[in-house]
Formats: sequence, C-alpha cells, structure tokens
Amino acid sequence: MERLNFRILTISVAFLFTFFLFATIATLFFLQKPNEIIKALKSDEMIFSLKLSLLTAFLSTILVILTGILIGYALSRFDFPGKSIVKSILDLPMAFPELVLGLALLLLFGSTPIGNALSNLGIRIVFTKLGIVVAQFFTALPYAVREIYAAFEEINPRYELVARSLGYTEFETFRKVTLPMAKNGLLASTVISFARSIGAFGAVLILAGGNYMNTEVLPITLYLNISYGNVGMAITSGIVLVVISFAAILSLEKLGERNGPVRS
Amino acid sequence: MALLEVKNLSIDLGEFHLRNISLTVEKKDYLAVIGPTGSGKSVLLEAIAGFYPTKAGRIILDGRDITTLPPEKRGISIVYQDFMLFPHLNVFDNIAFGLRKITSSKVEIEREVKTIAEKLHIDHIFHRKVSTLSGGEKQRVAIARALVVRPRILLMDEPFSALDEKTRENLRAIVKKAVREYDTIHDTAVVHVTHDFEDVFALANKVVVMNAGKVVQIGTVEDIFCKPTSDFVADFVGTNFVRGKVLESSDITAVRVGNVVIYTTDVAKPGIEVTLSIRPEAIILARELGESSAQNILPARVMKIRKRGHLLWLILDVDGLMLRAVITPNAAELLGIKEGVKLYTMFKASNVRVVG
Repeated sequence: MERLNFRILTISVAFLFTFFLFATIATLFFLQKPNEIIKALKSDEMIFSLKLSLLTAFLSTILVILTGILIGYALSRFDFPGKSIVKSILDLPMAFPELVLGLALLLLFGSTPIGNALSNLGIRIVFTKLGIVVAQFFTALPYAVREIYAAFEEINPRYELVARSLGYTEFETFRKVTLPMAKNGLLASTVISFARSIGAFGAVLILAGGNYMNTEVLPITLYLNISYGNVGMAITSGIVLVVISFAAILSLEKLGERNGPVRS
Repeated sequence: MALLEVKNLSIDLGEFHLRNISLTVEKKDYLAVIGPTGSGKSVLLEAIAGFYPTKAGRIILDGRDITTLPPEKRGISIVYQDFMLFPHLNVFDNIAFGLRKITSSKVEIEREVKTIAEKLHIDHIFHRKVSTLSGGEKQRVAIARALVVRPRILLMDEPFSALDEKTRENLRAIVKKAVREYDTIHDTAVVHVTHDFEDVFALANKVVVMNAGKVVQIGTVEDIFCKPTSDFVADFVGTNFVRGKVLESSDITAVRVGNVVIYTTDVAKPGIEVTLSIRPEAIILARELGESSAQNILPARVMKIRKRGHLLWLILDVDGLMLRAVITPNAAELLGIKEGVKLYTMFKASNVRVVG
C-alpha cells in the first residue's frame, strides 16, 4: 500500500511539473495575437537582433568546436603535468554565475596588459560585437569540451594504434580515424554550443553592453523590451529563441538518425 | 640474420613493468607468446609495434635499430582480439586503409585488396558495413587489413579469443594457409599472443612463456611442453605433453616416446611425429600390478613431491620420461608415497590425446 502511494506521488509530481512547463511554453506562444507577433518579427529591432544573434552564435560555435576538439583530445589522450588543474578550471564556468563570468571578462579585456595589448592591435572586445562572440565563447566552451572529451574517451585508443601501425602519423590518424569516429559526439556538442551561445545573456550583457541596435542579440532584446514595458517584443524574442533551440535539437536528432550509431 | 631481435628490453608503465626481455624471431617464424593474465604478453606486443617508450634495451628489425622509431615507420602490423575495424568504413575501405598510404593507384589498391581477400575468403563482402559482419568475418577483415600492407612482422593479440570454438578452428586453418603463403613470398614472421594451447599446437614453431613481465622460457613447442625448465612453466603448462613417433594405428594407436610405448584411441598416421597430452589427474598410481582396463601400464619412480593447495603433485620418472600426476594426501599415505619410491602408473588410452 505504502509502495503504491509512493508510486502515485512520484508520477503525480512528474505530471504536474510537465504540465507547468507545457503551460509556460503555451503562454509564451498563445498570449500574444498572431498578427502582433508578426508585426514584432518585422520590426527593424527584431530583424537586427535575429541577424546578429545568428551571426555571433554561428561564429562562436565554430570557435568553440575547434577549440573544444583540441582541448578534448589533449585531455582524453595525453598525460601532462597540471592536467587535473586544467580540467577543473575548464569546468569552472559551468558552476560560475554568468554575470560574474561577464564581469571577469570585462575586467580582463579592460585596462589590463592583455586588454591593452589587444586594443593596440586594433582588437576591441569591450562593448563591441566581438565582445558578444567572446562572451558566448566562454559560456559555451566548457559544455562543448565536456561533450567532446566524452566522445573521444569512448573511442578505444587501439583503433588509433592500428592506424599508426598501418603507416598513419599521429595527426593523420586523428583526422582519418578519431574525428570520424567521434562524429556523433561532435554533432551533439555543436548543437549544445549553438544553443548555449544564442541563449547566453549575463556574460554578453556585461561584456558587450547590450546597446540598442548595436550589441543587441535576442536575449538582450527580451531584456531591454521587458524593461521598457514592451511585452509584445519581449515575448516575440522569447518565441524566436525557443523555436531556434527546438530546431537545433530536432536537426541533431535527424542527423543522428541518418548517421546511425557508430559502432564496430 | 634474425628478422627481429629484442635485446634487454625494459618498459615502465607505472604499475606494470616489462623487465629485461630478450628474444629473437627468424624469418618465417611463427612465435606464440603464452603466460598467465597480466604477465605482460600484450604489452610486449605493443612495445614491438612501437606504442610505448622504452626505458632500456633495443629492438632491431632487419638489422636496423627501430627502438625509437614511431609505429608508422616500423612496417609492423597488429591484429587485436576485438578486431578494431573502423566503423565508419566498409569492408573494402578497412582493408585498403593502410594501402592508401603506400600507393594512390586505384587499380593497384583494388588488385591487392582482392588478392588478400580471396585468400581469407572475404572477397564477397567488400561493400558490407563492418557492424553487420560475424565475429569470424570481422577478424578475417582485420587480418587482411594487417597483411595487405606487407608487414615485416604480423602481431596478433589473442586474435581468436572472441570467437566460438568452431569459427576458431576454421579461422586457424585459414590463417595458417594465408600466413604460410604470405611468409613464403615476403619472408615475414608472426608473433601471436594466446592463452589457447590449441593455437600453439596448430600454428607455432616457437614459444615464449612470460610471467610477471619477464620471459621465463623460450624454445620450440616441444621444448616448452615436454621439457619445461622451471616449476612455473611446468605448472602453467599443467598437462603432460610428450612427443613421439607413431608406430602403428589400427583400433588403437601406438606411439613410441623415448624408451616407452604409449597407446591412444586417437588416430594418427604411422611414421609421423605427434605430441600427446595426458592430464595429470588421469594418471592412476598403484604399488602392485593388478588387473586393470588401462592400456598404458608403466613402471615409474617418484622423483619429486610438491604440495599445491589440498593436492600433491608428483613428478614421475617413467623410464626416462617425466610425467606429472596429481593425488590426494590420503592416497599418498595409503600407498606410502615418498620421493624415490617405485610404483606403477596406469592411464587409459582414451585419456591420451593427439594434439599436434
């Protein structure tokens, strides 16, 4: 009897939570009249914000994946002094409040020797569009490294040893064996990185400034409009963010299905 | 000149060490490496392939010092127990993988892949995904992939262990033929790690026994199984193996082993040399001759008694032939067995197997 009650309790909580989550998303979609959503979508601000979001998220995803592949491979395949420290520090931003990450980046790229050196080279990060990419990069990288590291860890190093014994150098083996075998993990981390990048808010706001029609990406549009009391624009940017995230997840599943599980 | 010389090789892998390994492999040799789990057999194989930095010692291949050469420059192929076929490539591309580094000629690649695939009976599955193959097919593809690049040495790490008995036997025959044909043309050699003595009898001409990161005995198959030089090797080999010449074979086969004749129910051609196996527990001991159904009744003398767990292992001198028998302490007391005592050994012909 007691067991049955417990079962009912757990299932009810699961249903209740799902209901609220569903209701939340439904509210987002149905509270606003369709023509108002379309109007908001067609506004200059929304078009600017959407374009900038897609562009920056696209760029930071590429940078995150390239960097993540190198870091993930090093952590998975090589032993080096300080490896455990590198691993912990890489994980840090995940437990770090995004706002604090943004603040730290702002300070680092501000008037420190690093910030000054970059600015002497003509690279300005603080309160610029480049700052958006940098903030997104640092937000998404730890997640990508985790995923890519796990993908490399799953590959038995003996596959690589076989390739080496067949005449392939370390780099050629990486290109012809390790990377293709890690394909599914790489795809998954690409989607996660893109979703993290396009949804990044706190770090972007602090480092890039969240200036209207300048460093304004979708989460900033939501924030700025809700502050002005412009609920329609805020809701619409929320909808666009959700749709993009769903599309990313769906495309991952489709790609995964087409490739099938990679197994010997 | 020896094909491969390993000289005083030591490797340090933190928890595991290979210590002072020396061995020689001649052209056309088929070397079996045996030993208990964790004795360093696989590490030795991977060290020869160049996957571990050496702490001391040298590896010489064809007179060239390859100790510090990376794996891709050694010309040594490796085949693993769990196949390690590249899952993103089909059968043809798996076999052709190494060839593509040697030549870019499509015609040549196709010809070479076809030739080796025919030898291993896998020329009908070129376009299959490797995940759809049976274990036996996978291992044949792995062996083809390793042989097609014409390695100076083929290394195999328990290649048949993941397969069922029937497939294993079938594959042994195919590999034996393929490797032999290959040997004749290319003067290569095989180093095969195994825990299955059937592999040794069916394929090898030389055996290395390893224990705790060291080589404990190296010799011909007969040396290892019939003349173990240490208690460890004798215990590891366990079963009595003796070698002799078949005298006649009708209802029962008679084999001359040294000064004695041993009968077996297995069939063998008269005149050939065979290895016989007799389990130590199949040997019955008696102080006096009585009536018995055993075909093999031979006088013996107890040379050594050793306690192993609850049992006693006896080393018996049967007219110059050393046999191991195992008895309980009770039986030993009853028979008054001590070192130097003379008695009779009896074992049934059906307990004697022809193994190679």
